Amino acid sequence: MKTAQAGTLESMDCVVSLTEGGAGNGMTVTLAGASAARFGKAMETRVRETLKKLGAVDVTASVQDNGALDVVLEARVEAAWRRLTGGGAA
Amino acid sequence: MKLRRTMLYLPGNNPNMLLRGWLFGSDGLILDLEDAVSIHEKDSARILVSRILKEGEFGDCEVTVRINGVDTEYWEKDLEAIVPCGIDGIRIPKVEGPETVKAVDEALTRIEKAAGVTVGRTKICCLLETARGIWNAYEVAASSPRVDSICPGGEDLTADLRTQRSDDGVELEGPRRRVILAARAAGIDAFDTVFPRINDDEGLVREATFIKQLGFDGKSVIHPRQIPIIHSVFMPTEKEITKARRIVEAAKEAAARGLGAVSVDGRMVDAPVVKRAQFTLTRAGLSEEVQ
Amino acid sequence: MARNSVGRELPGQIAGYGPVLPFNGHKARIPEGNCAGGRLKAAFNDRTDKTVKDIREAIKASGLKSGMTVSFHHHLRNGDYVVNQVIDACAEMGIRDLTIFPTALFGVHKALIPHIKSGVIRRIMGSVNGPIGQLASEGGLEVPVVLRSHGGRPRAVISGDVRIDVAFIAAPSADRYGNLSGRIGRSACGSLGYAVTDADYANCVVAVTDNLLSFPMTPVSINQTKVDFVVAVDSIGDPAGIVSGTTQVTRDPMRLLIARHAAALIESSPYFKEGVSFQTGAGGISLAVAAYVRETMKARGVKGSFGLGGITSFFVDMLNEGLFERLMDVQSFDLVAVKSIAENPNHVEISADWYANPWNAGAVVNMLDAVVLGATEVDRNFNANVNTEADGALLHGIGGHQDTAAGAKLTIITTPLLRGRIPCVVDDVYTVTTPGEVVDAIVTEFGVAINPLRQDLIDAAKEAGNVPLVAIDELVERAHRMSGPMEPVATKDRIIGVVEWRDGTVIDVVRQLDK
Repeated sequence: MKTAQAGTLESMDCVVSLTEGGAGNGMTVTLAGASAARFGKAMETRVRETLKKLGAVDVTASVQDNGALDVVLEARVEAAWRRLTGGGAA
Repeated sequence: MKLRRTMLYLPGNNPNMLLRGWLFGSDGLILDLEDAVSIHEKDSARILVSRILKEGEFGDCEVTVRINGVDTEYWEKDLEAIVPCGIDGIRIPKVEGPETVKAVDEALTRIEKAAGVTVGRTKICCLLETARGIWNAYEVAASSPRVDSICPGGEDLTADLRTQRSDDGVELEGPRRRVILAARAAGIDAFDTVFPRINDDEGLVREATFIKQLGFDGKSVIHPRQIPIIHSVFMPTEKEITKARRIVEAAKEAAARGLGAVSVDGRMVDAPVVKRAQFTLTRAGLSEEVQ
Repeated sequence: MARNSVGRELPGQIAGYGPVLPFNGHKARIPEGNCAGGRLKAAFNDRTDKTVKDIREAIKASGLKSGMTVSFHHHLRNGDYVVNQVIDACAEMGIRDLTIFPTALFGVHKALIPHIKSGVIRRIMGSVNGPIGQLASEGGLEVPVVLRSHGGRPRAVISGDVRIDVAFIAAPSADRYGNLSGRIGRSACGSLGYAVTDADYANCVVAVTDNLLSFPMTPVSINQTKVDFVVAVDSIGDPAGIVSGTTQVTRDPMRLLIARHAAALIESSPYFKEGVSFQTGAGGISLAVAAYVRETMKARGVKGSFGLGGITSFFVDMLNEGLFERLMDVQSFDLVAVKSIAENPNHVEISADWYANPWNAGAVVNMLDAVVLGATEVDRNFNANVNTEADGALLHGIGGHQDTAAGAKLTIITTPLLRGRIPCVVDDVYTVTTPGEVVDAIVTEFGVAINPLRQDLIDAAKEAGNVPLVAIDELVERAHRMSGPMEPVATKDRIIGVVEWRDGTVIDVVRQLDK
């Protein structure tokens, strides 16, 4: 199974890990960390929508958060997705 | 007549600094995709910077991005990600001659057109980080109407000169003089390189005082605590402010009376002197007196 | 249900706490009558050595029984061994249902958790943090935790709200007849200010020391007339956890930016002049504020009168530089402060009562010009929360927050606008610790909001020109814009914490988390 990761655990950042899922398995999102208690639903929605926009269908996303705002969360999801699908960093 | 005393580098893969760096009160920001970003994070930094440029906030700061060098595989991707966001300018590292500027200039025009950004909006600051770059300073400065400033290198340049940076910066004196001369000859701004010793306030004051006296418009900054120190060096003296006030007053009076020529104490004053006086008041934080 | 003056709905009675007096303004409650008193004692020349063999002997001699109240101080901070040793011994001796009344608990006291679960400890009156705070928040204590400020606690003792059966006082040095000091010994902690009122009012006082000296020892913080028994143990604490070497100013540029704004505000105020007094915490931003103010004092030739509070090396340097005439020290934070209080007569030890109690003839906080405080969050009405975290857990004590805010002429709360994604300037704080009526300004990296009640300060800041003023509503809205809407904390109805204002009225309650 292919996996890719982007982001850091510095303040206001997060690490997004994506794993390719089997066809038809759909999207799974798990969250942990600083903001999950009070922003969990908003964050999950944001991860799902970003992935959908990028064309993802069957993927497992896990977010280790250290206070990322939506704009950062989206950037990390996009970077992880490009790494997962484009092959290799940079 | 925008102030460009301090241009603060913000590491391109650091959300905290990218989102809040403008609060430190520098005149400009340089979102850095080059040296501050490791080779493994070029892609994620590019995406992050691009998204924050679109959605973030930067106060009154001039916003620029330092792209990766034209000798890398990243620079065009960098431009494609950031230019459509509508930024004030880019910094190109390690420029050695006009051909580098030409290549970037063409790419900028292509991307601006495709993205619906006004062609020519994205200005260029050229970093001259080699002996060859310094030698060609004027040709670089005059190579495109986009080039609005040039800046000598620090560490890279001294290495290329086969020396190292000293406390008094004697090895950079020649390059600095050449850069200011080239910039003024081409009618653009000159920034100085960063001062690397972030806890040496006295050294910073010495260096900032020196480059201000040479004529530089400002300095690149690597740590927020350097900003107020440099601003205080660039603060005009009471005497300078008083003199500037009289010139600006005289110019206002002349304009009100419909006169073309401005005279202060019976002596005629040229338009560039009036402009300079207005700039002095702006630097002193008295821009409301200019209007 | 009654509504107090910060808008909190409160029941008339809370199980395990008693009747609720709603908070109704910061100086609304005026006491009547006399102080409570401790037990009368007598001692004659047939007993000239108060030492007993060990902690168990001391517990036995003190008459401690199940259901009683025992008190402790927190001068040994996270290095303390005494609380755990005493409660372990109580457990071994079959004593149960204790109320513990510490001035504060630290992470090291998580060893009490099994004693809470087994019923040795029934109630905690005092700050809880870390694992014990989490346990309390999730409903792990039968009776609500009662939180009091450093001034509110001695008030509760002196007024008789709380009766201490046995005070166990960790003493870095003690002589055989019960004179105690924190200044010397391998576990030296400097001031013993938090223990003084307990020694005055407890029915029985037991000193626990690891530096037993012959009589008479001087100088003395708590004297022999108060102390019933002395126990020598191998060690009362871990010096590394008691005090740090020196206290460093932060290097984080964002914290420094906030500190710079706060310093500019102090310097713009009418209080920044000859004789200025101030208190700052040992936290990153607070200490940096002191660093900036110190530079300005030097530059403008301003000399201060006193520095107050928990004392750090930083304040000691200012005393030695002549920028303060005195330090008033209720708690010594680092080795430099411990050394200074032992050697410098201008570095004065004060009790918590002297420091902060609203119900005496005058506490030092009333003489404060400026105080710089932190908070987990503040709100549109300038109310501050220092007790609960974003997830609703009760994790911090009040400290001197309420007392210094109420006493100082200029009360500043510094906070980043957001910690990570969590907004720190909000519509309505989750828990009110300190009411907005005693908070003068909120300082963030996005600007300084001055309480509209203080037009004088607003005018002074405008005049100075270097204070980036912003309306509180603008800070709230900006934080909201950046973070997005927060989901509410899910709680049960049950109250697990009662936050008292320093005068004993209830300013807020904390409810059990619904997990």
